[in-house]
Amino acid sequence: MTRVRPLALQIAPGDARPISKQIVDAVRLKIATAELKAGDQLPSVRGLAQQLTVNPNTVAKAYAELSAEGWLEARQGLGLYVAAPRQRLSEDERERRMEEAVARFVHEVAALGFTPAEALGRLDIALRVLGPRKSA
Amino acid sequence: MTDTPVIDTRQLVVRYSDKLAIDHLDLRLEPGSVHAIVGANGAGKSTLFRVLLGFQKPSLGSASILGCDSQSLSPADRGRIGFVNEEHTLPPWMAVRDVLHMQRRHYARWNQAAYDEVSGHYNIVPKQKVGQLSRGERAGLNLALALAQSPELLILDEPTLGLDVVAKRAFLESMLYSQERENCTVVYCSHQMDEVERVADNLVIMERGALRHVSPPEEFCARVACWIAEMPFRGPDPALIPGLLRTHRIDGLHHYLVFDQGDSFAAFLREHGARSIERMPVGLDSAINGFLSRHHAMPKAA
Repeated sequence: MTRVRPLALQIAPGDARPISKQIVDAVRLKIATAELKAGDQLPSVRGLAQQLTVNPNTVAKAYAELSAEGWLEARQGLGLYVAAPRQRLSEDERERRMEEAVARFVHEVAALGFTPAEALGRLDIALRVLGPRKSA
Repeated sequence: MTDTPVIDTRQLVVRYSDKLAIDHLDLRLEPGSVHAIVGANGAGKSTLFRVLLGFQKPSLGSASILGCDSQSLSPADRGRIGFVNEEHTLPPWMAVRDVLHMQRRHYARWNQAAYDEVSGHYNIVPKQKVGQLSRGERAGLNLALALAQSPELLILDEPTLGLDVVAKRAFLESMLYSQERENCTVVYCSHQMDEVERVADNLVIMERGALRHVSPPEEFCARVACWIAEMPFRGPDPALIPGLLRTHRIDGLHHYLVFDQGDSFAAFLREHGARSIERMPVGLDSAINGFLSRHHAMPKAA
């Protein structure tokens, strides 16, 4: 019998993101950082709503979005589980994340005073490691 | 439950001498959700509730609640509506036990388990007089009584005003997760936006007795954005800025809070000489704040 994984997340008042989006982001991050692993069971809609003191419909909406994106999967009558990481992100999402990652890298590099050519060279070497592996 | 709106007002007007407390209001709220009504003081929320509950006559127009004309509600109709207001008015000289007996006799669908579940969150002794309860305990008692009616509609007028954090949380939990809530529509009014964001499926904004906006809270938020631009001199005349809710000048930068403006707003700013432009999403609190301060949107030019 799988046990429900606790979801340690916070709703920040004043955050510009709607609450359902904050839940989506937090769950994704936990999956990305392997804090949540494939097969882990998530709290019930009502349970998480109660934990966060939010409307259950808000949690249901976040879970629906996570399921639609392939992060979670429903098992008939059992609840929601973290899906195996075979699903690909949507084109938009990949694009967005790529942009974010590039921006982070550029900001770091700019502060270190390397020239673009030097930075590119290093990046090229670093990326070769990924080479033959299939992208996730 | 049918799809009859729980609240339906048509061209509703309530006039207090020269002032329109409700100004030709057409409001329809669907069953099954938590609706939050938000507005500045004097927006007409409490007047609206008084009319809906039949305590006050409209000057013009009509108002119906659960499909019944609010001016001719029968006791049975009233039994289908639970009401909790911010004053938590119950006779202070009555013992809790006696209030409970009285209410139980009034309501045919009395659900003692619901009363016990909700009142269990509070330290209420049956022998205690209502006047001896704290504000939070009275709030809890009121909600417990209202939920025990098994209402189809629960109207809450600033129910958590003045409650401490624990009492507030207990109140919200009872309201959101009580078994009795399942088939009950909640119409709720509050000035606390963090709370509204947590509980509301639908956001209703009223201003000066008129309806200004209806949508889920996140949809409303998404339509409001803050643009920060470095403008030469004073920037464009506020009267010309499309969708302007509020403008501020901070450290020489212009902050524009605008409604329903897409990328064309950046073009607008550029046309007026903006050098750098940044767009920021805003939270519900700022969004509503800006929306309600629109009529004060023009500070004297610095």
